[in-house]
Amino acid sequence: MKAIEQNLPIRSISQEISSSSSVFAVCFCFLFSIAPHFPHLPLWVSGIVGFALGWRCLQNLGKLREIPRWLLIPMVIIGGLGVFAEYWTVVGRDAGLALLTVMTALKFLESRRQRDLLILVFLCYFLIATHFLFSQSILTATLMFATLIVTTATLITINQREAQISVADLLRSSSHLVLMSIPLMLILFVLVPRIPGPLWGLTNEQRGGITGLSDSMSPGKISNLIRSNEVAFRVDFDGRIPAQNQLYWRGPVMAHFTGFRWSQVPRKPLGQPTLSVSEPPISYTVTLEPNGERWLLALDVPTRLVAGSVMTADFQLTSKKEVNDLLRYKTESRLAYQFGLDESEDYLKLTRSYPEQYNPKTIALGKSLAAKHGDSMEIVNAALSMFSKEAFFYTLKPPLLGNNVVDDFLFGSRRGFCEHYAGSFALLMRAAGIPARIVTGYQGGEFNSVGNYMIVRQSDAHAWTEVWIEDRGWIRIDPTAAVSPDRIELGLDDALADEISNFRIQTRNPIFGNLLYGWDNLQHSWNNWVLNYDERKQRDFLSKLDMGIDNWSDMVITLVVMLSAITGVFWFIAWYRERPPRPATYELLFRCLLRKLAHRGIEKKASEDTRAFLRRVAADDFPQRDQLEHIIDLYNRIKYGRSGASPLALNQMRSLINSLQP
Amino acid sequence: MVALSLPGPVRRYFENWFEVRNPPSGDSILLHNRRLYILPTGFGYLFAIMLLFLFLAAINYQNSMAYMLTFMLVSLVIISLWQTHKNLLGITVKLNIPRPVFRGEMCELEFEVSHPNNSRRFAIGIQYRNQPPVYLKLQALGSTKAKLKLPTGRRGLFKPAGITVFTRYPTGLFHAWGWLRFDLPILVYPRPLQDARLQQSLVEQLDGQTSTSTIEGDDFAGLREHRVGESLRHISWKAYAQGRGLLTKTFQGQARPSLWIDWQSMTQGSAEDRLSDMAAMVLAAENEEQKYGLRLPGTMIEQSYGNAHKHNCLQALAVFRQTDIEQEIPLEGD
Repeated sequence: MKAIEQNLPIRSISQEISSSSSVFAVCFCFLFSIAPHFPHLPLWVSGIVGFALGWRCLQNLGKLREIPRWLLIPMVIIGGLGVFAEYWTVVGRDAGLALLTVMTALKFLESRRQRDLLILVFLCYFLIATHFLFSQSILTATLMFATLIVTTATLITINQREAQISVADLLRSSSHLVLMSIPLMLILFVLVPRIPGPLWGLTNEQRGGITGLSDSMSPGKISNLIRSNEVAFRVDFDGRIPAQNQLYWRGPVMAHFTGFRWSQVPRKPLGQPTLSVSEPPISYTVTLEPNGERWLLALDVPTRLVAGSVMTADFQLTSKKEVNDLLRYKTESRLAYQFGLDESEDYLKLTRSYPEQYNPKTIALGKSLAAKHGDSMEIVNAALSMFSKEAFFYTLKPPLLGNNVVDDFLFGSRRGFCEHYAGSFALLMRAAGIPARIVTGYQGGEFNSVGNYMIVRQSDAHAWTEVWIEDRGWIRIDPTAAVSPDRIELGLDDALADEISNFRIQTRNPIFGNLLYGWDNLQHSWNNWVLNYDERKQRDFLSKLDMGIDNWSDMVITLVVMLSAITGVFWFIAWYRERPPRPATYELLFRCLLRKLAHRGIEKKASEDTRAFLRRVAADDFPQRDQLEHIIDLYNRIKYGRSGASPLALNQMRSLINSLQP
Repeated sequence: MVALSLPGPVRRYFENWFEVRNPPSGDSILLHNRRLYILPTGFGYLFAIMLLFLFLAAINYQNSMAYMLTFMLVSLVIISLWQTHKNLLGITVKLNIPRPVFRGEMCELEFEVSHPNNSRRFAIGIQYRNQPPVYLKLQALGSTKAKLKLPTGRRGLFKPAGITVFTRYPTGLFHAWGWLRFDLPILVYPRPLQDARLQQSLVEQLDGQTSTSTIEGDDFAGLREHRVGESLRHISWKAYAQGRGLLTKTFQGQARPSLWIDWQSMTQGSAEDRLSDMAAMVLAAENEEQKYGLRLPGTMIEQSYGNAHKHNCLQALAVFRQTDIEQEIPLEGD
């Protein structure tokens, strides 16, 4: 009993000095897990990482001395202050990461013992998680999986001690460990009840370099976006997919015009819906890539609210917080609609106003149009026919324009992109006294035939106008369609095939195209099933499984049962493989004999060998001595003899033992 | 594990439980499920705390991949629990009969670790209490020897207890171990004191001794029966070849003096000091090729000489007034 009272030797083991190979391993592991962060980190932080790792490795080789502790403490303080100076905070994603990196790097300089290295490996595990705050794509996940294997291999190296093991063997056992964890991980992932977050306030940090629509529109803004092949969002339609020329994805609505730039006007949420519709709704689910802004894209016009968002009076879906993570929402739209019949006088006045001092020619043209045609609709058509009949060109590379952008465009270059057409058309209408505004968003999209959903890319960005007409409300007018019908009917690539070569052109190739669509489909499923697996999705999924798991406690019970079952199987396999070999029959019979003798009070001493014991027993005045000697003889013959355990001898031994009096 | 201070019946229950599961067994122990224990290490707990933080972060950021990583690491913990346990399962540890040592010397325990299975085992440690462990690894179907050196703190006959075979492989999050309790005793002789005074008393005792025939000398005196422990150099191989058995040649010369090493004559110091003195005298007498006998209260060993006789004497000194074989190896400073 004394023995189990003693403390387990936990402390002494972790205090052991680490081997030099494990120091190298941990250095490599840290470099491996921090490297993808270098683009997000200030240069000096990366510098500290390089310095600390370099020093530690050289120290390990005996080329440098250990940095004295009195020098380390100021370094830690300076590192902390440096991070604070860089971000003006030490919490939050970016500052937190920088601080963690600096401190981990400095920890290397004072790591000598087993314990220090283990802590460093734990920090590497933690670093893996920080990558997911920047990206959760399949590629990141794959890279992190590799990092997990490397980190685990490092952990194994540290616990390996003296035993030399090849890197290949290490990676193999580490992969083994990680791969065996996958089934358990999946069960946990599916069944651990999800808790809606956040638990504490988040500094809603933007991801760097997001491309996407902007909150204002001026010439050149959208055509810049066009060059990006990034996915803006993906759409799964529940039923019918509308025709290409119906796919206007409504984004920010801009009613304020400075003479050069269009921008948004804050509007109240929609009170009473003032929409009259005739057709059945189109139902679909949008998976929006993070855009760092509040707007949610929806087919023109959305008629259903999305959780956590509001619908403004100009039918724009606006999220309550910035979309910094992948967002999936289900909504409905009507393609045939009437809205804004009861638009407020103030807003109509605003949408008729324009700065007088700029673009005098355009204003004059607008006024003359109004004078020539009485009816608003006629004015609109007259302006559109001007775009389509006269020599206007649709191009991604418009020439630079002067101060009066609209005048320069309409009466000068006549070469422009959608924002030029939409902007000048809206100004013309306003000059003619018709309320007009710009709607930006996306137009079109490509159908992924592999996954049956629609991909809308940044290159589908578009701007169009809405004019307000008495008794008809806001009507969508797309002047670009008048100039380049192909843009709307076929999409951008066909309209500008000679100016751009991009993804969609490549997808025309049957093999390559399918590969690309397959890849995109994988990303889409990843988004839907992995990244969006939240509380609601979990509930939906479990109810779809139809196993009666529909509440928190059911989930926990199922979880525990499944985990125990799997672990139980593992333990059984281990036990089965390592089970002690079954003793031979004669040994079992011999044990039976020993038990019988023990019953009489003759016990075999642990120090006594079998033959000596039997000699002792037989020498006593044992009542069935002959029989016993016969048994001993049989036993010895079976065990040591040449013929071994013949069935005959075994039977004889058994019957003799049975006939012994207990 | 913390020191247990449990109420009597519970304590007895645990003691019984421990005895039943870990009986001292001969010279070899097979580590099967019932003999193996596993608990998280300090790092295991630290890792758990880190996982908790990760989980909170995953909830807070509603980050699916962070959830996935957390669950992955939880699974890794479960798998490594199993693998650590498996790393010891089925191993046989055999203790070779330890050689007696003098108190203060390092006692060397030689273990033979083997396993009959086709799997490799890494970083298996053998450790006595908080002493530095020795590590070994096993190839498939392999067998390895490991030597554990322990400083000895007290004379006596001891049974190795408190020795564990353990492993933390592969992740260091768990400490799996089995108790190695063998029936083989370790004998620690008293520490012999090298003392000029002793030499003096030896010389005094030897004055006036007559000469007898001995195996060392100048003139051949005759043959007598060989005694165990005598050098093979002195065996008359000629007589052996003639079929007369093992005979030792004796010579006439300076007689082998004889003396008694007596507890009563040791007057100085404590009992341990006296035993130390006596042990030193045994060694000195053996070294000087004298016949000597040992007198202890309750024990007497007749005058003789040779290696076996020396060990008999030293053993008597080692276990003097030791009532029971102790289940512990006392260390320096105990």
